[in-house]
Amino acid sequence: MSLVKAKLANLLLRRRVKSRDLHPNARANLEALEGLDLAAPLSACRFVVLDTETTGMDPETDRVVSVGAVRVVQGRVRLGEAFSELVNPGRDIPAMAVKVHGITPDKIASARHGAEVFEDFLSFLGRDILVAHYAKFDLHFINRVMRGRYGFSLQNLVLDTVLMCQAVVLASDPYGISRHQKACRLEALAQRFGIAAPERHTALGDALITAMVFQRMLARLEAVGGTRLKDLMRVAQLK
Amino acid sequence: MEEFHWHRILEFVRAVAPFDALPQQDLERAVSAMEVAYFPRDTVIIEQGGPSSRFLYFLQSGSARVGLPGAGEGGGELLVDERGEGDTFGGLSLLQGGKAMFRVTAREDLICYLLPGEVFKALCAAHPSLERHYGASLARNLQAVREHVSCELPALAGLEGMSLSAAMMRSRVRELMSPKPVTCLPAMPVKAAARIMTQRQVGSIVVAQAGGHPLGILTDTDFRVRVMLRARSLDEPVAEFMSAPPHSISPDAYAFEALLAMSHHGVHHLVVVEDDRVVGVISDRDLQAITGGSPVGVVRAIDKVASVGELVRLHPSIDRVVELLLRMGGSAREMLALVTEFNDRVTTKLIALTEEDMEHSGAGRPPVPYGWMALGSEGRREQTLRTDQDNALIFANVPEASQERVKAWFLGFSERVVAGLERCGFPRCTGGVMASNPDWCQSEAGWQKTFLRWVSDPKPVTLRLGSIFFDFREIYAEADYLDTLRLRLKQAMEENRLFLRYMAANALYNRPPLGFLRQFVVEKGGEHANKLNLKLSGLTPIVDGARVMALELGIDTTNTLERLAAIEAQGLLKKELAADLVEAFSFITLLRISRHLEARAEGRTPDNFVDPESLNNFQRKMLKEAFKVVSELQSLLEQRYQTRLIT
Repeated sequence: MSLVKAKLANLLLRRRVKSRDLHPNARANLEALEGLDLAAPLSACRFVVLDTETTGMDPETDRVVSVGAVRVVQGRVRLGEAFSELVNPGRDIPAMAVKVHGITPDKIASARHGAEVFEDFLSFLGRDILVAHYAKFDLHFINRVMRGRYGFSLQNLVLDTVLMCQAVVLASDPYGISRHQKACRLEALAQRFGIAAPERHTALGDALITAMVFQRMLARLEAVGGTRLKDLMRVAQLK
Repeated sequence: MEEFHWHRILEFVRAVAPFDALPQQDLERAVSAMEVAYFPRDTVIIEQGGPSSRFLYFLQSGSARVGLPGAGEGGGELLVDERGEGDTFGGLSLLQGGKAMFRVTAREDLICYLLPGEVFKALCAAHPSLERHYGASLARNLQAVREHVSCELPALAGLEGMSLSAAMMRSRVRELMSPKPVTCLPAMPVKAAARIMTQRQVGSIVVAQAGGHPLGILTDTDFRVRVMLRARSLDEPVAEFMSAPPHSISPDAYAFEALLAMSHHGVHHLVVVEDDRVVGVISDRDLQAITGGSPVGVVRAIDKVASVGELVRLHPSIDRVVELLLRMGGSAREMLALVTEFNDRVTTKLIALTEEDMEHSGAGRPPVPYGWMALGSEGRREQTLRTDQDNALIFANVPEASQERVKAWFLGFSERVVAGLERCGFPRCTGGVMASNPDWCQSEAGWQKTFLRWVSDPKPVTLRLGSIFFDFREIYAEADYLDTLRLRLKQAMEENRLFLRYMAANALYNRPPLGFLRQFVVEKGGEHANKLNLKLSGLTPIVDGARVMALELGIDTTNTLERLAAIEAQGLLKKELAADLVEAFSFITLLRISRHLEARAEGRTPDNFVDPESLNNFQRKMLKEAFKVVSELQSLLEQRYQTRLIT
């Protein structure tokens, strides 16, 4: 969806919900696309890079157990602007999932529930462009809460680093040797770029790595002349 | 404060000196303010002459080069320093403000943690050790620039805790220069110029047009090397001999810029020019003056002392000045020459004073002319701080009948000099290689015979003595005994080539400590467990190798760097290997000197051991490279001298 279309849909949505009594966070989110300019240089764009840990891979039955996000401004990751919180999924955590992220049921016993954490995340996100690896997956969980609470889905622009990777990194692979699903995995990308994980593999740690991978790909994009938001959207916007 | 999330990044920052000294709370605050940035290879991160840095950059991965554009060979960039993982850059530029002094470029793809300037400055205000550390990094950079313009080896031997930088950074040329420069017109005869310089007690005279436009400069050195050698008559005009055009600097430039300019152009004087008019002259001595130590003063003091006791009392201040000068940095060659210079002066003075003492005590004047020989590292002019004595005495041939009486006089004399040196801080040689030993106090003929005997009979003891004695150099000599001795040694060497093979085998005894896995091999046990011996495993093989080749080729100099240059000139060493050896020798020497200074600063006795763990990545890399070069030299020796033939 191009920005024009997104703005149009947003306009229609705002008309539709105008008379409704909305949560301030929801009202604010309606304005998420404001001020976005396709011709804006990438260095002027603000991003929030998100990573979530879940109870599993099934979008229908599984829930989020941990949210981590960092903000990227002027192409730099701000460590001081990080979001990190465990989420009580309101269900059991399968042993398989515990093995992946190490979040055991006792750890989340005192954690808040998804909806409350979500509200805080939404105000952390503000109008920034949301970036995630396999963004569809994270967006699904966000939108489930969004729709449930506000009746509409997230209005922010959402970029997917996997799409970006396919367009920016793998495109330069003339023999297609690395054109394989695995080459797009976060670990594979980090390794490809020689990024050593600066932190542990928590949602926040992975959000930081995603941000650093994103940073690399932004530099690559800019190196081939893609210096404006529209260039980035062309390669990374979630369809 | 919010919950802190970045524990591993904090540990990374904590491992970076001098942040290791910061309390947890401050580190958390610093990390929370940081940003992660990526710079593709070849990105210029800080531009020389551009605005000062806004961040302190911590290198998380990759490496960066600190350079001086336009100062390198052919107008390229002069490499000042290289920073690797766990290093920082930008700190100095931040603290100093104004224009950035150096250009910082990403050598490889770089990931950095950026600490914003305000936060860094607040930390510096709370922790003076931080500011000191970054002040010292300027000194290190300057030192690297001083090294030599064409020399790619940055001086990395971290000289911590120096006081030079602050003064160098704040003082301007205008405050330090001689404001009333002595000038003359180009047509002035050199004789007249010399008279003016003597009258005004200056080391240089600026040659300028009547309007003040500078044309050139004539210094003491120019008098020595140009006027004395070339002038047919002292009535020739100064314009014939001056250095033109003169290297100039603005009065508003900083002291360190003057230092940079001097080291870049290899000069000691700069003409200070404002609006195309000469307004002053600044010399390296003016710069030294602001660093607190006056080497000139100490040299004068040495020359003036009237008794051994006075000289002994002077030795702490000599030590201090030498240390200060070493801390100011410079190339290995300069530093070694500097220590030698002071030690030579002390020794010469002691010899003169002892002669007087002998006379006053009724023993009389020296019965025949003689010479005082420096051996070993002193002979090679490669001493660092205080080292053991290695000396010998040679006296004129005398008739058999008076031999005993003459030798007795010189032995008594030598014992006094040796004792004096000991009191001045040069410990006696534990191996007894001193002029007070009857074996090492001989007549000219005696020495010639001794050397010939050694060379014709290679065995462990003669080889060991040869490695000390064949590096002889005169410190004081009334006649050309040593030239004759050198000539005889050369002849003896030609007739006894086998000695060289044995000596080469000896030079292979100390192997550089690069193990099979390219790991450092360190001392296995004892006091120096897990440490490297810089001298034995790095310097000694180079020194020994250079000696063998120099003896083979009949090269007179004993200095290792000069020997290497001469060997290269004669084609025995390839240009690249010679350059690598010079670099390896210089690097290890600088590292050794800086370790010695550190030890002194901490009140420890300096030794030659270094813990590889205490080196930064780049130093480690350099050291490994240096050891590889030493290995290469040893393979060459093995082949050339067929050392396998002796077992």
